[in-house]
Amino acid sequence: MGASETDRKLRKQRLIFYEDDVERINKALENYQNLSKSRCNMLIDVEGHPVTQVGSTEGINLETIAALVAASFAATKEVAKILGEAEFSSLTHQGKHESIQLSLVGDRTILATIFDSEETTIGMVMFYTKELVEKLAGIFGEIANRKDIKQGVFEPMEDMESVIDDLFGDV
Amino acid sequence: MVQINFAKREINCKLVYYGPGLSGKTTNLEVVHKKAPASKKGELTSIATEGDRTLFFDYMPLELGKVGGMNTKFQLYTVPGQVYYNATRKLVLQGADGVVFVADSQPDKMDENIESFQNLEENLREQGLQPETIPMVLQWNKRDLPNVEDVGVLDQKLNKYSSPTFEAVAVTGEGVFPTLKKLAQMVLEKLNKEYGLNPDKKGAGGGGAATAKKPDPKPERKPDPPPVERKPERRPERKPDPEPVVERKADPPPERRRPERREREPEPEREELPRGNRKPQGYDMGGRKPAPPEKKGGKGVMILLLLILALAGAFVGGGYTGKLQDLVPQAQKFYDDKLAPTLGGGSQANNNGGGGDDQGGGDDDSGQ
Repeated sequence: MGASETDRKLRKQRLIFYEDDVERINKALENYQNLSKSRCNMLIDVEGHPVTQVGSTEGINLETIAALVAASFAATKEVAKILGEAEFSSLTHQGKHESIQLSLVGDRTILATIFDSEETTIGMVMFYTKELVEKLAGIFGEIANRKDIKQGVFEPMEDMESVIDDLFGDV
Repeated sequence: MVQINFAKREINCKLVYYGPGLSGKTTNLEVVHKKAPASKKGELTSIATEGDRTLFFDYMPLELGKVGGMNTKFQLYTVPGQVYYNATRKLVLQGADGVVFVADSQPDKMDENIESFQNLEENLREQGLQPETIPMVLQWNKRDLPNVEDVGVLDQKLNKYSSPTFEAVAVTGEGVFPTLKKLAQMVLEKLNKEYGLNPDKKGAGGGGAATAKKPDPKPERKPDPPPVERKPERRPERKPDPEPVVERKADPPPERRRPERREREPEPEREELPRGNRKPQGYDMGGRKPAPPEKKGGKGVMILLLLILALAGAFVGGGYTGKLQDLVPQAQKFYDDKLAPTLGGGSQANNNGGGGDDQGGGDDDSGQ
């Protein structure tokens, strides 16, 4: 119950993606994108950090959209709870041209699919999403079950101070 | 929660500005956004009400640069400060890696500061985060105002975990970057302690780098842990009552530096609170006993009846002479002889009674 134990637990929960993971994820996303004829697909963790994306992201501010999508999903989850549901696993925002479909992958990641209504339909997107979500959930399950990350994965952060000074130094 | 992405060589951290409503959280973020180099910052996004009060959060990404060979990014968020929005505040706090608590230095805001800090502790624990160990910096904002609480008092009442503290005037940008800089440092040190390869300093297992270089910039922090005068469970549950609406009206955001504006005027009506009880109170006031209101009409009728009786008496038994103008003195005589002794007063009593009535009404009114 102590703080150190909680920290250890949190550390275990921390999302760490290695290159191999992201390659596998990207491959699955690309395949899905071709089938669903969507414009762009992003994986975002529930805290709002983007994990990876495929497709055309032109004109899309990925970081902002990631933060907003995560917030929107979190808010929806609370609504679900009020209605007696554990969560809503998918959310759709439909526009005149561009639409976005959000799907929960496992319990830590969100898939955001942006698609053009003239290129594909929401039914098509939802149909292929189901398959992809299962596939990705498997990959994320593996990532989550991986043993606690060893120490020493970074180079020493000796440059930390100078980097911080560079950014904030004279302000 | 920190996300480490080796494919992108990226570390993403989430920093949250917390604090009571109108303490300057959004202003902090606006200053960071304004002053950070364009190449390092992303857009500032706000989900706010029309009145510019934060509804959900403000958000901006800030790129720190390469640290430990990884491109380090901070996602900066603010929470809505108003008590009413606790549900959304919790959501924003989810997975936070560090917290800046922005306190309003005005003495009359102390209660709000304390309440907000307790709320932060509760919400952190609810998320499985420990307020004792999460990197946290406290900012005493609005130090330019004429009437501000002493830093020592703020420290004693709010700095429960001996966190670093900074004085600030967020509207002018003063103290904003030192605060963020310190938090950035603390978050990275924690990360370095957990994952950093640090061969030449105290071994990889420890937290070598973190402890070896502890710059400790301007620590106005008081090392003494604050006394336990605070009751952690002071307000365990906040009810989403409509108070914030009042708060919102009372204090428009751009002028938040004017303390006078937030001062609530002592309501003069407060003393008149038992409005519904006024009547019964009137009876006890000043020793005078104004006539009960329900008797007002009754007395008038009585006088009329007496006059009619007097006239009738004069007409029948008093020797009516046939002239109408003689009737009045006769009636007066009859009244004085026959009726007045039984009523215990002269004819003037009628007038006085009427006057008393009016006055009684007046007393009633002035009796408050």
